[in-house]
Amino acid sequence: MRTFKHINAYTVNEACELLGQYQGKAKLNAGGTDLLSVLKGDILPEYPEAVINAKTISGLDSISEDGNVLKIGALALLSDVAKSPVLKEKCGVLAEAALSVGSPLIRNVATIGGNLCQAPRCWYYRYPRRLGGPLPCLRKGNGPCLAVKGDNRYHAILEGKGCFAVCTSDIAVALAALDAKITIVGSKGERSISVIDFYHPLGNTLEMDEMIKDFQIPITMLSMKQRFLKFTLRKPIDFAIVSVAASIGLNDGVCTDARIILGAVAPMPFRVKAAEEKIIGQSISDNVAAEAAEKALANAKPLTMNAYKVNIAKALVRRAITGPTAGLGE
Amino acid sequence: MLFWLPLERMVETMIDSYRYIGKETPRRDGAEVVTGSAKYVDDIRFTNLLYGEVLRSPHPHARIKRIEKSKAEGLDGVEAILTWESVPDWKFGTPPIFRILDRKVRFVGDAVAIIAARTKGIAREAARLIEVEYEVLPPVFDMEEAMKPGAPQLYEELQGNELPLYAPVLGPKSLTEIVMGDVEKGFAEADVITEGTFGYENIPNPLPPESPSAVALWQEPNKVTVWVSNQQVWLNKKILSEIFGDNVEVRAIGGPCGGSYGSKVMSWQVQCYAAALSKATGKPVKVCFSKEEHLAAFVLRPETRIHARVGMKKDGTVTAISGKWLLGTGYYSMTTQSQLSVGAGEAQIAVRCANWDVKPTIVCTNRNASGIVRGFGGQELKCALIPLLSLAMEKADLDPFEVLKKNYVKPGDGYYWRDGNWYSYRGVDYTKAMEKGAQTFVWKDKWKGWLKPTALNGTKRTGVGVGVHGNADIGEDVSEAYVRLDPDGRAVIYSSVTEHGTGQRSNCIKVVAEVLQLSLEAISITPSDTLITPIEWGPAGSRGTYAILSAVIAAAEDAKQKLFQFTAPLLEVDTGDLETADGVIWVKGRPDNRIRWEDALELRTILGHGHFNPDYSLANCMMSFVEVEVDTETGKVTLLRVVNATDVGQIIDPPGIRGQLNGCLGSAGIDSALFEETVLDQSTGCILNSNMIDYKWRTFSELPPIDNVIMETPFASHRFGAVGVGEIATSPGPSAVLMATSNAIGVWLHEYPVTPQRVLNALGKVGSK
Amino acid sequence: MKVNEETRKKSEEDKRISLIINGNQYSLEVGYESYKVKRSDTLAHTLRETLGLTGTKVSCDDGACGSCTVIMGGKAVPSCTILTVECEGKDITTIEGLGDPKTGALDPLQQSFIDHTAFQCGFCTPGIIMSAKALLNKNPHPTEEEIKEALSGNFCRCISHYQVLDAVLAASGKDGGDND
Repeated sequence: MRTFKHINAYTVNEACELLGQYQGKAKLNAGGTDLLSVLKGDILPEYPEAVINAKTISGLDSISEDGNVLKIGALALLSDVAKSPVLKEKCGVLAEAALSVGSPLIRNVATIGGNLCQAPRCWYYRYPRRLGGPLPCLRKGNGPCLAVKGDNRYHAILEGKGCFAVCTSDIAVALAALDAKITIVGSKGERSISVIDFYHPLGNTLEMDEMIKDFQIPITMLSMKQRFLKFTLRKPIDFAIVSVAASIGLNDGVCTDARIILGAVAPMPFRVKAAEEKIIGQSISDNVAAEAAEKALANAKPLTMNAYKVNIAKALVRRAITGPTAGLGE
Repeated sequence: MLFWLPLERMVETMIDSYRYIGKETPRRDGAEVVTGSAKYVDDIRFTNLLYGEVLRSPHPHARIKRIEKSKAEGLDGVEAILTWESVPDWKFGTPPIFRILDRKVRFVGDAVAIIAARTKGIAREAARLIEVEYEVLPPVFDMEEAMKPGAPQLYEELQGNELPLYAPVLGPKSLTEIVMGDVEKGFAEADVITEGTFGYENIPNPLPPESPSAVALWQEPNKVTVWVSNQQVWLNKKILSEIFGDNVEVRAIGGPCGGSYGSKVMSWQVQCYAAALSKATGKPVKVCFSKEEHLAAFVLRPETRIHARVGMKKDGTVTAISGKWLLGTGYYSMTTQSQLSVGAGEAQIAVRCANWDVKPTIVCTNRNASGIVRGFGGQELKCALIPLLSLAMEKADLDPFEVLKKNYVKPGDGYYWRDGNWYSYRGVDYTKAMEKGAQTFVWKDKWKGWLKPTALNGTKRTGVGVGVHGNADIGEDVSEAYVRLDPDGRAVIYSSVTEHGTGQRSNCIKVVAEVLQLSLEAISITPSDTLITPIEWGPAGSRGTYAILSAVIAAAEDAKQKLFQFTAPLLEVDTGDLETADGVIWVKGRPDNRIRWEDALELRTILGHGHFNPDYSLANCMMSFVEVEVDTETGKVTLLRVVNATDVGQIIDPPGIRGQLNGCLGSAGIDSALFEETVLDQSTGCILNSNMIDYKWRTFSELPPIDNVIMETPFASHRFGAVGVGEIATSPGPSAVLMATSNAIGVWLHEYPVTPQRVLNALGKVGSK
Repeated sequence: MKVNEETRKKSEEDKRISLIINGNQYSLEVGYESYKVKRSDTLAHTLRETLGLTGTKVSCDDGACGSCTVIMGGKAVPSCTILTVECEGKDITTIEGLGDPKTGALDPLQQSFIDHTAFQCGFCTPGIIMSAKALLNKNPHPTEEEIKEALSGNFCRCISHYQVLDAVLAASGKDGGDND
């Protein structure tokens, strides 16, 4: 790929300072699996001047229980998240989501923070320079969205605004089902934001000089039954066509609380509150689940080629409500 | 000389146990492979090597108005940039109107300029600096649109976008249609007549792991050496000689090839880029396509759409087939005409019908080109033909296994083959193999009738399907080999065969070891180099076992004869009285009357010559049975089980044949019915999935059980009575999957692959509440 | 990745990168000349082009096919997605590092691949062997499911998968004889 300056950052503040110095012309490198792909494709309107290595920041990869949250550092490897005994036991939805990403090779280098920040998989966005690209588009700021009139079989069926690329992070979907908060650090200090609010239709809300520091999951969420389902054509490697993460509180078979999040259907993880409201206070049954699934997709606005995703999403919501739990246990 | 034995003698030989044939022996290149020391083209080191890169078009159809390359040429490390104006006027294809760089671009990704630089990075940087002005022209992507009058025309040399159907390489009468008998009479005799359209239009990519590569070194004035990444070095030499002109001496060097499945034989453009840049710079130049280029600017399967009427009797006899076969070749054709010819021949082998009227058309469109892929036209044809026959089988309520079994070519039947000649089939009857396959699959229990699932399980349904394919290419084209006997009791095989996965180099060693009764370690095989090794069409189709090995066996037999001729006077006997094994010659029945090769030959070698002439009278066969499960809620189709059935006469190498048959899951085979497709976006002309995440391939995580039923009924082929079967392994599967999925859901699917989208649409579920 | 102060200072001043590859210490100059390690060079590129270790193959160059798998810090990783300049102090094993460097004897896993003809064209084989080796190093007696999972990122187009499973199971002390 084209060359760049390379700088190792040794603290979070240093990384943010460097990002600020480069005024958006530097990229933070965590695991590298997505960044290098984007750079090799040479698809961005501006190629970065510098790459800042985040892996040299120590202490950002731990998984720990810290008072009333479970904290996961942004640089925790997906393979560690998938194998972590505490996460497998208490955050099955997250451990399973991590296990479903890519391949064991990818998971050995990719990080949880990087997974949330990865560039969209929209094949117009990613069309490489080598083959006559890159293609101008809305997200890049230099053209219309090409998916609208083109092949949008994998694009958004909900909440698309201008750009219809979906958020492909399985981790984001699982974290949203756990009410996780993202701790972000930048020149203006530290802030905390929910996973869904982290995204908007054209990307994520990180300022030019900010990076993710960690994820915090309230332990009150951990007692709920957790389920992660991912629909793909192939088991490994594929990004989700539709995914769902659910946390369901049960008391004697009656639902007391619920978070149901759909993935790969919108530019952000999509919380289907209508479905949650349908099942709260009810005994879980196939009928109740089916009704909830209908409600979940009631406002879906498919494009020309992706209406089938509505069917798959409904099936996944239904199965997430009625199915066994994720992780150890059932 | 063609060396084969009468059948009786062959059975005799088989009853004697072989020392090596049919036994597992380690691959000669095993240690190289597992240590990573096998040198594929990109691993070979050269002095002063330059790297060649290609600048590619963003437009599907455009005329080049101006190319400004001065900025790029000024970049330090850039040594040459060639465009349509400066490149030699090299062209090829069928017809040979396709230039390596042209004034027009005809698909998104078409080559506009080629750059040679000291590093790949510099070459890519230079590509970025070249400015091109285009006159954008309207494109055409749909085959039928491309045939309409007034459609955008790709070539000034052609009328419209249809290509001539003749394949000159196959001879003056190459098969361009399937026409025989009287279809009207045939339809009149039929009990049922059906009509329909099926398409195999997903243009999947065979996708070998090693991307197309070449290194060329041009030595002025007229010598060029090319290191190739495919299995047919002599064919490469022949093609390049045609392109460069007779006065240029071409030397093609082959080596380990990281997969090809036929496709990399069409590397003439990659080789020409390297050669043109080497000619311009005086240095060796390497061109290695990136995986994106491999997926979007290198060989795809042809598109096929067939609309046909089929007449069938209640006893399964096919009385008439009449229709139109549309073949899409993308922006040019090298072998699509040959694929048509071979496909047409294969159709007659699979379906014994007396009355045909199938007329093909080959059409160009503004997309990346189609060409050689394992299955070679026959797979594409079967993917539409078997479903068309199925409509008739359904109407007549016939079991497809019985109908396909009945209709497969039998000894004494005939077919027009690719050269337009009529051949009488003299191979085995595959009925037994097919029945054994059906038994292994438990077909009788699983088949519940047309468009009926085999089993229901909640929202899931299973279905079964069967497909068949065969090729009379097992004896195609020419092979030549030498075998040298050395006084130290060793032998050397001179052959241009390279290793591309089938293990044929090791099989050459095996058959020579068997003929000469030497240890495997005593046999060596030369590197593949047209300067040294004789003419060999190479492992194409399934010709390795019969054609290539026949030449090698003949060379070994010839060497043995010459050795005996030389030695007989020394022992004072006749040539026919001698035997040899392990480097010793003795008189039959008198083992103490013996002499070592060393003592007989002293300082002399013996050279045997073997040649194989084409024989199109034998055909192979594979029948595939598949079971799929469909989730009717999500549309997901999962392959549960595969049974492949064949008869190969004599297994030469058990792991080798197992690998070939398991290959049904690779090379854009069965999975082209499940999830493999090249996504051509008609709104932009771009191939959208040109990476290995978005182009789908079979993983270790999801391996269905495959049972390979391999019978051994000796063929009248060569000394060991064997025939090859590797190429056809990918071809019966896809149509079987289409059949199985249609049966599972109770609705006919007409397109590949059977995506969740298509399944849910067929079930009427999409868009409904 | 954790880097101590000393190592960090050293790598910036000297503009060198230190790696341990197959037990050998390397100190490579970082720079823009073609014989130096560029900051944008991937580990796969450095291994193949700078160090001549061409046993590691590059196919997709995008982390998706596993052909470039090496073992780094005990884990199987795709070397084409890793920047060499980010590998300071790393311990790396490539296919050339298996087997006995003195006697040339093959690693039992490599021998098992030969014995089971667990390859056809061989291009994907080094990557598969490295993924399998990393697994066996941590889990000497894996189940067939565990092997499939470990190899799920490795592309093989000739379809040698079934024989690969036999070979890895045999190398781990269990015979995979039931597989076709």
